[in-house]
Amino acid sequence: MAKQKPSLNTVNFSATQLMEFDACTRCGECVKYCPTYDARDKNQDIEPRDKILRWRDFMTKSYGLKARLFGPEIIPPEEIKKFTDDLYNCTTCGMCGTVCPAGINTIELWESTRANLVKYGTGPYGKQSLFPKLIEEGHNPYMKQQKDRLAWMTPDIKIAEKSDIAYFIGCTAGYNQQVLGVSTARILNKLNVPFMVLGEDEWCCSSALIRTGQQHINDTPKKAAIHNVEALKAKGAKRVIFACAGCFRAAKIDWPRAYGKALPFEAIHMSQFLAEQVDAGKIKWEKSLNKTVTYHDPCHLGRHVGVFEEPRKVIKSMPGIKLVEMKRNRKEQRCCGAGGGVKAGIPDLALGVAKGRMNDAKETGAEALISTCPFCRRNLLDGRDELKLDMSVDDLVVLTANLMGLSTDVKAPAPGAPKESISDMFRTQTIPPKPPAEPKKEEPKAAAAPAAPAPKAEAPKAPAAPKTEAPKVKATPAPKTEAPKAKATPAPKTEAPKAPAKEAAKTPAANKK
Amino acid sequence: MATEGLTILGKTVFDTLFIDWRIMAITAIISIILFIVGMYIQLDKWGRGIPEGATKPIGAWGALSLIISSIFSKGIGHALEVLVLDVAFQRRTYRRRKLEWLMHILIFWGWIGLLILTIVAAAAEFAGPFLFNKDYVYFVGVWKSLELPNNIFGYMLVLGIVIAILRRLLSKGKDVQARNADIDWILIIGLLIVVVTGFYAQDIRIGSGVQRELISTYVATAPGFFDNATVMFHEVFTLLFCVAYLPFSKYFHMITAPLTILVNHGGE
Repeated sequence: MAKQKPSLNTVNFSATQLMEFDACTRCGECVKYCPTYDARDKNQDIEPRDKILRWRDFMTKSYGLKARLFGPEIIPPEEIKKFTDDLYNCTTCGMCGTVCPAGINTIELWESTRANLVKYGTGPYGKQSLFPKLIEEGHNPYMKQQKDRLAWMTPDIKIAEKSDIAYFIGCTAGYNQQVLGVSTARILNKLNVPFMVLGEDEWCCSSALIRTGQQHINDTPKKAAIHNVEALKAKGAKRVIFACAGCFRAAKIDWPRAYGKALPFEAIHMSQFLAEQVDAGKIKWEKSLNKTVTYHDPCHLGRHVGVFEEPRKVIKSMPGIKLVEMKRNRKEQRCCGAGGGVKAGIPDLALGVAKGRMNDAKETGAEALISTCPFCRRNLLDGRDELKLDMSVDDLVVLTANLMGLSTDVKAPAPGAPKESISDMFRTQTIPPKPPAEPKKEEPKAAAAPAAPAPKAEAPKAPAAPKTEAPKVKATPAPKTEAPKAKATPAPKTEAPKAPAKEAAKTPAANKK
Repeated sequence: MATEGLTILGKTVFDTLFIDWRIMAITAIISIILFIVGMYIQLDKWGRGIPEGATKPIGAWGALSLIISSIFSKGIGHALEVLVLDVAFQRRTYRRRKLEWLMHILIFWGWIGLLILTIVAAAAEFAGPFLFNKDYVYFVGVWKSLELPNNIFGYMLVLGIVIAILRRLLSKGKDVQARNADIDWILIIGLLIVVVTGFYAQDIRIGSGVQRELISTYVATAPGFFDNATVMFHEVFTLLFCVAYLPFSKYFHMITAPLTILVNHGGE
């Protein structure tokens, strides 16, 4: 009698990873810390331990002793589908691995299992399936144009054509959080650090694809990593600064794997760079701010890469600022909830986790929550608004720029622009409300709606920064957003802010992490 | 029938264990074979992995090779550090779960201690005739000198098991809420059987007034296993439960957890 084929295969797992499934002692330490398990009302199906044990059971049924003797046991497809859904209810924050007594590398395990299930056909989850097409074709997950990569630039910002130092802007800062882009650039200018950018040559770091198990689709992350590395190398970069924790993690861990060797430059996070400048006494604080702040360690910067102290060093050096820690900090911080494709795929879960983290911040009595990841910031702003907390949420770079006496103003925000595009702490700008939608015209065939109203090219209305020479790089200072080419993209949904006095809007497409 | 011992290459390894070495040898061989078969099946399962970029699985021996090379990929010194701090002293558990750490350490080191002393005693049995050209008296001397550490490790094991049972009965911790957590009782009860029957066997030896000496001198009063089924059960069950059953059971993590810590360089 011919033996049946196993229901699941073992692709995307290394031998040691399959061993790791057998290493779980079921102690449940991971359960105590899992942010999505908490946000899902302690649903046992979501806990990391349960997922490891269920996959172990699948493997044993397929390849264990009994399977060898009598043939594999069939696993019902609905059981695999349920497992897949539970698996994607995870931000891949890695807290489970950090506390695991057996030292299981859970981040890699979840990513491999996701990739396996994408190939099987039950993954990814919801809108995450749009990532491959968006990133492959448009080189960003936001349905934006490459030519608008530098649309955030203001005339005061100077960018060199060539330099040893490069600033890798990232899609989130480039398209949605202009305040981070302008703040980073102005700080570097002020410090007399010449820097270059890739501009239209910059491609998405592809973190979203890797985290959601879709790296094999057209090999997009590999192609993107090689492209970015080669482009930076060609421009002579020796040091590349990242202000986005997600891009930084990709460059530190994922790019060398794709590139096949060590990167030809040093990848450094902006918080590390700032800490160096503080140490060297190069940062001159021009303002003082009497505020108590707390710091949220992004998973991608902290637990994944190990940068914990540099952001704190910068904050502690700021005049007037008092840093208080949340109970869960550094290695044991609680995830913001946006990572692992959750913001795009399961927004209600992302919001639930964000609320948990904002409540952590509230306990400290801090007036502001500072982070070093634009994507964390975006989700934490959502959590803050949902809880109606009176707390600002901003990036370390934005705070640094302000206290260095620099403007954090961006070009005049377009009506209905994402709330995260401007600074939350330093309210010198407002986002005009979105105009009422025009009556629907005949919809073009197979074309999707744009993510957000396209801001037409217009002169900046209130850039507080001094006017200097125009940027030298091939930049497109005036944003001109065109209809995206991708099919089946989510329609824009811009909501009114829930918190009072918070000019904010929500752009669901801005969910890539 | 009792025997003076096992003759190997003209030398007699004297039978002084109060038990019939033939039954022990057969059980031990069966246990080890089952253990090796179980390990091979597990290695074969792991070796079926096909990571991104690979085209075919690496098989059981490939998996073994990968595990070993991963352990030493950061150098022997680093591997030893992880072995001592994270495997032997379970640093990762100590950081977060003090009571569980104490329980694990008592059971782990109680067990390892008894294992080491058993190996030392077995080595002394062979060293007497082969290295020092001495009869069984040499072994008896060694064995007596190991009595104190044997007792210490034995009591450590008992204490660890008591903590494990109390935790199971009283704790509301996450670990006892796992799906199918009840199967943990198999390990606890199994270990309890090993320990209780072990102490019982020792009590019989002491009660019989038997000293370690040639079986032929006390065969009339204390034949192999003392003619006691519990003593025989203790020896056979211990080997089967703690060696042969391991790769097929939930307790396989006793092997895979340390290997994972080593492969992941301490998990940091």
